Amino acid sequence: MSARVRRAAVALLALACLGMKVPPPQDYGRVVLDNFSRKAGMDPVRFDHFTHRSRFTCRLCHVDVGFAMAVGATKVSAATNESGFHCGACHDGKRVIGGKAVFASCTAIKPASGTGTCERCHHRDDAVARREAYYAFAADLPRARVGGGVDWEVAEASGQIRPADHVEGLTLPRRRLEMDRDVALDSRGSWMSNVVFSHKKHAVWNGCEVCHPEIFPQTQRDAMKFTMIEIGNGLYCGVCHDKVAFPLADCDRCHTESMTGPRSRRVR
Amino acid sequence: MRSTLAASFLAALALVVAAGPLLAADAPPKPPTPAECKKQVDEACAKTQDAMNLSGDELKELVARCDRLAPVVAAQPEPHRKVLGLRLKRCRDLYQFVLDTRERT
Repeated sequence: MSARVRRAAVALLALACLGMKVPPPQDYGRVVLDNFSRKAGMDPVRFDHFTHRSRFTCRLCHVDVGFAMAVGATKVSAATNESGFHCGACHDGKRVIGGKAVFASCTAIKPASGTGTCERCHHRDDAVARREAYYAFAADLPRARVGGGVDWEVAEASGQIRPADHVEGLTLPRRRLEMDRDVALDSRGSWMSNVVFSHKKHAVWNGCEVCHPEIFPQTQRDAMKFTMIEIGNGLYCGVCHDKVAFPLADCDRCHTESMTGPRSRRVR
Repeated sequence: MRSTLAASFLAALALVVAAGPLLAADAPPKPPTPAECKKQVDEACAKTQDAMNLSGDELKELVARCDRLAPVVAAQPEPHRKVLGLRLKRCRDLYQFVLDTRERT
């Protein structure tokens, strides 16, 4: 078997393995919150990231509002919402976003049953309704190549969505981060091209402190070495990618450096 | 007798009024309310977007400011303590990260 055929076979195998993990687009980025719900006799909260991602940056919710990056770690409760944190930071029934009052999240006082207040977030899974809701939402947005989900990067760059990084009365207005330095990351595999990491694309959504220093504590060249296995296990890029950001199976969205160019080329 | 009592009362009253500001100055500062504490954290964390453009001294001052705020946040009731504490840690660590990165390079 020639080296070229072997590389292609390995690449296909890797793609196949990674591709198997990609859920349908309406399920991608779904988080089920159930630290307290069932214990309180309610259905868990089923949160679809896409409902918020078109309107807010990741940084706004995961830094300013205080949602953890790991499922179940935030410990959202009626008490935290009622105190104006987590969902309750915006969902207080009074705050106006996009010209519309945001519906209130749960409080310690349970509303009368049948009002539909709780069921807006605490509900049983209805796969058909969810699928229809997703495709209605995504109808006009650009599609990603792998998984069929929304290509958020294109949607943001083209101005189809304008994720807000500030909510009046909740956060302080911030200057947009200008960080456009690309960083070349050498790929260990000879069959896969190098990664060109774009700070510009990531800074739009994350600012600095989502990634540094918690996920990436070092920025010196070659100071950090990580593998696709680690990323697949939810570390480094895998904290977001394959969960909410585009899936790992979309290899050449990261491995973009030309295979024909010099492999040690530095990108600045 | 009555006039002596009245004079004593007035003297005691004058002493209390005069000592009031001194006593107040010695009293421990009132801990900030959760809303005040949030505002202080917001202000300390407002410069993360500019961290790369700040001088070393400015970054050190911001790290020190976050360190001074940490016990104030820790004294807050839950869930303020947890949410504001996480936020403060994130921005403090970022300022320190930028400082460390500069020293390394």
